[in-house]
Amino acid sequence: MSRNLGGESKRAVTGIGLGLRYDLATELLDRQPTTVSWLEIHPENYVNRGGRYQEMLDLARRDWPIVTHGLSTCLGAPEPFDASYLRELRGFLSDLEIPWHSEHLCLGGVDDRFFHDLLPLPFTEEAAQIASQRLIEVRDAIELPLALENASYYAPQCEDGLTEADFVVDVLERADATLLLDVNNIYVNSRNFDFDPKAYIDKIPADRVVQIHVAGHFVREDGLRIDTHGEPVPDEVYQLLDYTLRKVGPVPVLLERDNNVPPLDELLAEVDELWAIYRRATEDEHAG
Amino acid sequence: MLADQAKAMQRVCFGAEPSEADLELLGSRERWLVYRELVQNRLVQVIEVALARTRTAIGDEAFGRTVSDWLGTGGPRTRYLRYVPSELADFAIPIWRGTEAPWVAELACFEIGSWSVRHAPQDPKPEAEFAFDRRPVLSEAVDLVRFEYPVQKRPRPAAGYEPEPTLLCIYRGADHRAHTRALNPLAADLLDAWKRADETVADSVQRIAKAHGTEIGPAFVEKLSALIADFVERGVIVGGSDA
Repeated sequence: MSRNLGGESKRAVTGIGLGLRYDLATELLDRQPTTVSWLEIHPENYVNRGGRYQEMLDLARRDWPIVTHGLSTCLGAPEPFDASYLRELRGFLSDLEIPWHSEHLCLGGVDDRFFHDLLPLPFTEEAAQIASQRLIEVRDAIELPLALENASYYAPQCEDGLTEADFVVDVLERADATLLLDVNNIYVNSRNFDFDPKAYIDKIPADRVVQIHVAGHFVREDGLRIDTHGEPVPDEVYQLLDYTLRKVGPVPVLLERDNNVPPLDELLAEVDELWAIYRRATEDEHAG
Repeated sequence: MLADQAKAMQRVCFGAEPSEADLELLGSRERWLVYRELVQNRLVQVIEVALARTRTAIGDEAFGRTVSDWLGTGGPRTRYLRYVPSELADFAIPIWRGTEAPWVAELACFEIGSWSVRHAPQDPKPEAEFAFDRRPVLSEAVDLVRFEYPVQKRPRPAAGYEPEPTLLCIYRGADHRAHTRALNPLAADLLDAWKRADETVADSVQRIAKAHGTEIGPAFVEKLSALIADFVERGVIVGGSDA
């Protein structure tokens, strides 16, 4: 099978990837579309789990490079980590030949209880200090590079705190970390809180960006945008991706679709659109 | 400060009624109620998939009340969404035993057993073949249930289930779904012993046959061989261990 891996090794993560989800796995793994260069998985869906999920992972690893994206390590939680989970995570990740793992800059739980959603951290120095320390702790525990992802949020922040972009950069610099830049999250936040998404991108140190996420989102009747990953990628997010790639260069881009999953051909049409943007933006950048 | 905000988020997302003080601390009443809805919807969704028949039997309102009461205890302790229904069931089944028809709690146990089997860990890699002088190695995805009602039978009778002693092996099939196999009392005790795997197959067979007053003659051996072959074919037995 020929994939868009350029001249790099089979396990290199480059170009456009797709999130491996239960609802699309059968068709994706059967058809093995060559335009999908790599897959992303959530470890929480696979750790200590057999059955269909194990089979999906085995088939995916056979044919694609894999990157992992955590949901529950809770970089912003104020309590100590569950050391046994970090050991379990390290064991799981160590078998996968991944170039990095990523996790959200958010609050995922408190007092050993889990929200199963990504709740916002206040953009304060205290939260930046806690998140950066925890990022270092997880990175050391899993013995792999750990990229943080900027999250979407819906509740306004207190006015005497940092801007979101400054907060993200603060955490990156404190932890000397890399970034999984979620373009859809920036767009959603910019519309919900009326800021310029390109100004946000401009503040991000380009050399820290190792991966990009794009997705669609839901617009409620009251105008609030919710990061559902359940809609097609809107044009504005494609445009912001183009702007971002021209800044950061050819880092791998993942299409996230977690809900309301359409037939694979619809997702592959979005993958094609992402490839067109990716090639245009990165070739123009190299030409310049 | 962050710790105080995090605990307020927990109370807002999971509490029976979010307090105005917590909503004020977090800064936006309307938007934090959006978070509450998002958090609860995700959890309720997976619970309703896992316990679909129980929910229908109990009714949306009573089922939802129990889920709310459980959320009010502070939210899930598991980071794995697939284990959330089991946490709810641990809380809810003792309640339903007291408030619902007697078969309802067994239906919930059956659905949670099936859900757990479907999402169970990978099977162990046995070091040896299954043999009478070895300890058995079973799939991780096997459960034994002993019910007073045949809640696995569908459709559910309109008047509910009538008592009928029911022994079931729930296992994950090659299609990755949960299946059942009916057992007699002796086979159920054998499966129970083989799941514990603290004695050889021969020792367990002798002990359990004696307990049931069953002679180990040709007829018994023939039935035992058929049971073992069937368990191997279904992936319930995966091998043996000399340890």
